[in-house]
Amino acid sequence: MKWLGLGLVALLSFALAVLLGPAHVPLAELARSDIVRSLRLPRAILAFLVGGSLALSGASLQALVRNPLADPFLLGLSGGAGLGAVLAIALHLAGPWVLPLAAFGGALFAMALVYRLGLVGGAELDPRVLILAGVAVGAFASAVTTAIVSLSDATELRNAFLWLWGGLSGASWDTVVVMAVYAPLPVLVLLAAARPLDLLALGEEPARHLGADVVPLKRRVYVAASLLTAAAVAVSGVIGFVGLVVPHAMRTLWGHRHRPLLPACFVGGGALLALSDTVARVAVAPRELPVGIVTALIGVPVFALMLRRWSAT
Amino acid sequence: MRLWVHRAHLAGLLALAAVAACRREGRAARGDGALTVVDDAGRRVELRAPARRIVSLSPAVTELLFALGAGDRVVGRTTWCDFPPAARAVPSVGDGMNPNIEAVAARRPDLVVLYRSPLNGTAARQLERLGIAGVLVRQDRLEDAARAARLLGRLTGLEVSGDSLAASIERLLANPRPPPHISVAFVVWDNPPMVIGGGSYLDELATLAGARNVFHDVGSASATVAIETIAARDPDAIVVLSDTAPAPPPSFAGRREWQAVRAVRERRLVQLTGSLYGRPNPRAAQAVAELRRLLAAPGAGGAGGARGAGRVR
Repeated sequence: MKWLGLGLVALLSFALAVLLGPAHVPLAELARSDIVRSLRLPRAILAFLVGGSLALSGASLQALVRNPLADPFLLGLSGGAGLGAVLAIALHLAGPWVLPLAAFGGALFAMALVYRLGLVGGAELDPRVLILAGVAVGAFASAVTTAIVSLSDATELRNAFLWLWGGLSGASWDTVVVMAVYAPLPVLVLLAAARPLDLLALGEEPARHLGADVVPLKRRVYVAASLLTAAAVAVSGVIGFVGLVVPHAMRTLWGHRHRPLLPACFVGGGALLALSDTVARVAVAPRELPVGIVTALIGVPVFALMLRRWSAT
Repeated sequence: MRLWVHRAHLAGLLALAAVAACRREGRAARGDGALTVVDDAGRRVELRAPARRIVSLSPAVTELLFALGAGDRVVGRTTWCDFPPAARAVPSVGDGMNPNIEAVAARRPDLVVLYRSPLNGTAARQLERLGIAGVLVRQDRLEDAARAARLLGRLTGLEVSGDSLAASIERLLANPRPPPHISVAFVVWDNPPMVIGGGSYLDELATLAGARNVFHDVGSASATVAIETIAARDPDAIVVLSDTAPAPPPSFAGRREWQAVRAVRERRLVQLTGSLYGRPNPRAAQAVAELRRLLAAPGAGGAGGARGAGRVR
C-alpha cells in the first residue's frame, strides 16, 4: 500500500514534469514537440536520478555518521565542487564539459582530503572526526573559492557561483546518459549495505559482535555515497534539502530498517526533485526559480505533516 | 609594488597640501566656486570648488569623465575601468562594488563618484565622515548617462561639455525608433540561463538598433529563465557579451540541450564587447550603429540569412 502510494506520487510528479513548462505545448503535439523531447524529458529524468541519488546518499551518510543532521554535502563535497568549477573558469579552460568535470574532480578531491583527515583520529572513519573534517574542508574550499572570485578580473568568475546553484538547467540526453551509466554501481553498493547499516545503527562495537565488517562497510558506504553526490553536483550543481529531509520523511513511513528505507528514499527523492523542478520552471514563468528554494518550500511542509502524523501514532 | 606604494603615498601627501590650499582659497572667495548638487539618491552634495581629484567607482563614470575632458582629474578607478585606454594608467582602488574606503581615501580625492546601490550609499556616508564628497549616480539606462553627464559637468566646472554630451545622448534617445526587423535574446550566462530583460540598457540599445528583445516583458534588468522559454520565444539571433575581443564562440553553443534553440542550432550568434555594450556610455550612438550592422550581417539571421558566426570586436 505504502509502496503503491509512493509509486503513484513518483509517476504523477514525473508526468507533471513532462506535461508542464513555461512554453505552451498542446497535449496532441506532446510526442512530436522538440521542446518536450530534447528539454523536458531529459530534465525530468535527470531530476529523478539526481533527487534519488541525493536522498539515497543522505540516508546512507546519516546511518554512517549516526547523525540525523547529515546530508550529502556535509562532507565538504559542495565546497570542493565549487572550487573545481571556479578554478576551471579562472584557468580559462574551455569546452562544454569542462565545468561538470572540474566540479566532479573538485568534489572527489574534497572527499579524499576528508577521508585522509578522518584517519587522523586513529580509528578509521570515526564519525565525529569525519563530520569535523568535512565541515573544515568545505569551509576552507569555500574560502579559497571566494578569494579567487574576488581577486580575479574576469567577469565570468562572478557567475561561477551561479553555476554551482544552477540546478537542472544543464539537463540534456548527454547528462542523462552520464548519470544513468554512472549511478547504478554506487546505488547498488549502497542498497547492498542495507542490512549491515541496520547493525551499525546499534553502535560500532555491537555491530562488530553481530558479525558486521565495520571498517570495510564504512569505507564502502562513504566512498559510494560521495561518488554519487559528486556526480549529482557535476550535472546539477548543489541542490539542498533533498538529501537531508527525504530520508527523515521516509523513516516516518518505513521505519529505521534500511532494506525498505533506502529504495524508498531513492524513489521519494526523485519524486520530490522532479516536482520541485516543475514548480521552479512554471511558478513565475517566464522567469525560473532556483530549484533549491522550491525543494525546501515543498519539502518542509510535507515533512512537518509526516512528522506530526508519525508522532501521533 | 613597494615602490608604487611609496610613490602613491608621496603623491597623496602632495595632493593633500594642494587640496588644503584650494580649500582655503575657496573659503576666502565664498560663493565663488562653491556648488551644490542633488545626486541620483536624492542627497545634497556640496563642493567648495569644482572637483580636482576624482575617484570613479564605476566604469561608465570613468568613461564619462574622460569624455568631458576631466580625465586628468581622475585619480582612482575600478579594476573594470578599461575605456578609454588612458584610464588604465590611473591607479585602481578595487572592484568598485564594495569599496574599500581606506584605499579610496588614500587617493586623497575631493570627490568620489559611486554607482547608486544601498551598499554604496553606506560607503558615501562613510566618505562624508572623512570630509570627502561622494555622489551616487544611476547607471542603468541611457537616460541615466545623460543625467550623469550633466551632473558630472557641474561637479567638475565643465558644464558646457557636460550639457553638450547629455544633449547628444538625448538626441539619440529622441530619434524615432526603427520598426524591429529582427528578434534577439541577450544570453549573459548559460547555466542557469540568464537573459537581459526590459529594464536594461541593452534592451534600450536593441530597440534603437531596430531589434526586438524577446524578453522585453521581463521588467527587471536580467532574469533567470529556462532554456525551454528561450526556445519557445524563438529569437532570430542570440547575443552574448564577452570581456575580450575577439572571443571564442560561447561554449554553451556546443552543448546539446541548447540545440533546442533555433538561433543556437543555426549558429546565429552575435558577440559584443562588454566595455562598449555592457554599460551606458557616451559611445551609445556608435554602439547602436554597430549593433545594427552586426544584426544585419548574414550570420546573424538578418537580411542575408546565410549561416556562420557573426562576430566582431
